[in-house]
Amino acid sequence: MSDARRRGLGLALALPPVVLLAVFVGIPVVLAVGFSLGHVGGLNATIARIGTDTRVATSWWGTTQAWADVFADPRFVRDLVVTVGVTVVSTVVVVATSLGIALNLRLRGGRLATAFAGLAVVPLFIPVVIASWAITTFYSSDGAVRTAAALVGLDGPTWSYSVTAVVIGSVWTSLPFATLMASSGLQAVPDAMIEAARDAGASTASLVVRVMLPLAAVPVVIATTFTAIGVLGQFTVPYFTGPNAPSVLGVDISKYFQSFDRPQESVVMAVVVFVLASGVGAVYVGTAFRSAQTAGRA
Amino acid sequence: MTRRRPLAALAAAAATAVLLAGCAPTPAASVGAASRAVTDAQGTVTVFISGDTNVQTLWEKALIPAFEAANPGASVTTTLDLHGEHDAQSLAKLSSATAAGDDPGYDLVDSGFVRAAGAADLLAPVDASTIPNLATVPDSTVAAGDGYGIPYRASSVLLAYDSTTVSSPPRTLDDLLAWITDHPGQFAYNPPSTGGSGGAFVTTVLDEHLTDEQRTTFETTRDASQESAWEPGFAELARLDSSVYQHGVYPNGNQQVLDLLGTGAISMAPVWSDQVISAQDAGTLPATIHYAQISDPSFTGSASYLGIPKTAAHADTAEALADYVLSAEGQALIAETIAGYPVVSADSVPDAQRPEFAEADPATLRPGYSSETASDMSDLWDQEVPGQ
Repeated sequence: MSDARRRGLGLALALPPVVLLAVFVGIPVVLAVGFSLGHVGGLNATIARIGTDTRVATSWWGTTQAWADVFADPRFVRDLVVTVGVTVVSTVVVVATSLGIALNLRLRGGRLATAFAGLAVVPLFIPVVIASWAITTFYSSDGAVRTAAALVGLDGPTWSYSVTAVVIGSVWTSLPFATLMASSGLQAVPDAMIEAARDAGASTASLVVRVMLPLAAVPVVIATTFTAIGVLGQFTVPYFTGPNAPSVLGVDISKYFQSFDRPQESVVMAVVVFVLASGVGAVYVGTAFRSAQTAGRA
Repeated sequence: MTRRRPLAALAAAAATAVLLAGCAPTPAASVGAASRAVTDAQGTVTVFISGDTNVQTLWEKALIPAFEAANPGASVTTTLDLHGEHDAQSLAKLSSATAAGDDPGYDLVDSGFVRAAGAADLLAPVDASTIPNLATVPDSTVAAGDGYGIPYRASSVLLAYDSTTVSSPPRTLDDLLAWITDHPGQFAYNPPSTGGSGGAFVTTVLDEHLTDEQRTTFETTRDASQESAWEPGFAELARLDSSVYQHGVYPNGNQQVLDLLGTGAISMAPVWSDQVISAQDAGTLPATIHYAQISDPSFTGSASYLGIPKTAAHADTAEALADYVLSAEGQALIAETIAGYPVVSADSVPDAQRPEFAEADPATLRPGYSSETASDMSDLWDQEVPGQ
């Protein structure tokens, strides 16, 4: 096969996914960014007609008025801080827990370790709506936690409708995937490496930090980025378990779009979430690229 | 529990009226028309439902099967917007479709935006010549539909309380606000964006500080420049924030508030009349929950209106369906299924039951704000009340 034909075949094979992505992801992103800048013509005409207080472009590139509206709203700044905070805390807890479960399984093994790893995957099979509702009732003022505490004469915490419940729910929904990634990554570390490190006198801590984690870096980074992106844009968990205020941006976007009839402001928030998620995504792409390079595929 | 038997009796009386309609003049004759059974409708019709699950049940489990059984030539489908969350957008889409002369995709609308749609000239005019049973509805109720809305049931928001913990419930809004402050954590209402019962509470508190002209403006249109008049009301609600359930938790939805009342987590809440009665009938709310209307001002409530879009493809069948809903049979189904108040003239309700429905006279209920103004109210509430 000539080089030109090979290139042509490659292009033909890559074209369908590229077109699909352009139509279903690329164009909506461009439209949304345009709408947030006040471009209300063309495919944005209907949504602009529906919304109230829609800002219209004043120059060729648009207007920042809608962005100014959103950033001048104290609710948005407050909720942005909460969203980022919930994302960071949830991601740290998820990654630490999944690594703990995976290391326990790899280094100690046994029935208990297998049971933990199995339990951590259970949330995968429970719909998020059901789980959110269960979490809300479990930690409510008349829920299981406070009931159990009352039996021994203690005043248990009420976490329903609080940011704490949002973190608990986020950890619950993200743990299965992170655990699967972390355990498969650590299982792939060869026994020979672990034994060699031990023979050389490495403590368990330095074995984990200097041998096992570097070898499992790619799956762990994937688990981290996917967890962060998932928590950043979630709706169901905070809607059911969280407080009315402060809220997270996923809930705000829905409220501004539906209940307050301000689609332009909700699109501005969506672009903000998109930019934050892209930043996290860049870390993932970088890692995947480096790993492909090491494997000699790029 | 006081309302169960009268409703059953009303349903029975209405059913009897159906039987009598063919052979003798009924009491409804005193308003100038007798209820008429609808049995000859033909064709298909799509109903757009914007409301809570009880309204969905009313249409899909009661009215539509009964209509189709009585009219073998007709078939009905539905389109649902649960909780009416997209009302403002639905109205805008209807206005786009009407402007383009296109069929909006449905022929009969059951939504809070019917009045606004009528005012925007998006609905076909209706009267007793095309919908004969409209003649059995009191004139003032029909007039409130501005010639476009077909009143078909009524409900209002009431104050429900747990009679085991509250011996003397507040009778006025001022008493209620004082009660909430005196009993921290015992009162809850849902955010206005998630349901009408919380919306009615917020609207009523805001209304206390409005003039009559401002009230009329908010009811019929959107005027953002006048919305600063809400400030004192929102300040009042922000002050109450620390006194409501869990120091400022507003459950997302009418039903969630009822659930809290049912489990005893709270002692008092604004609730929809039809939902509280249905919940007690279904046994999900104990009989110890009592309810009453407050005064100065009362909570909002109104007749619910149906509308037929100007460009609807099946307007004839839609008229027949609306006529059926207003027939004695349709009104009985509404009372049975969702404990809705009848909208037909009080003369059509048996004497013994008339006092039960006196406070629900759709002609005297205070309506809520227009859907666009309500969107702004939800937005400002979210900004100024929770977490303050």
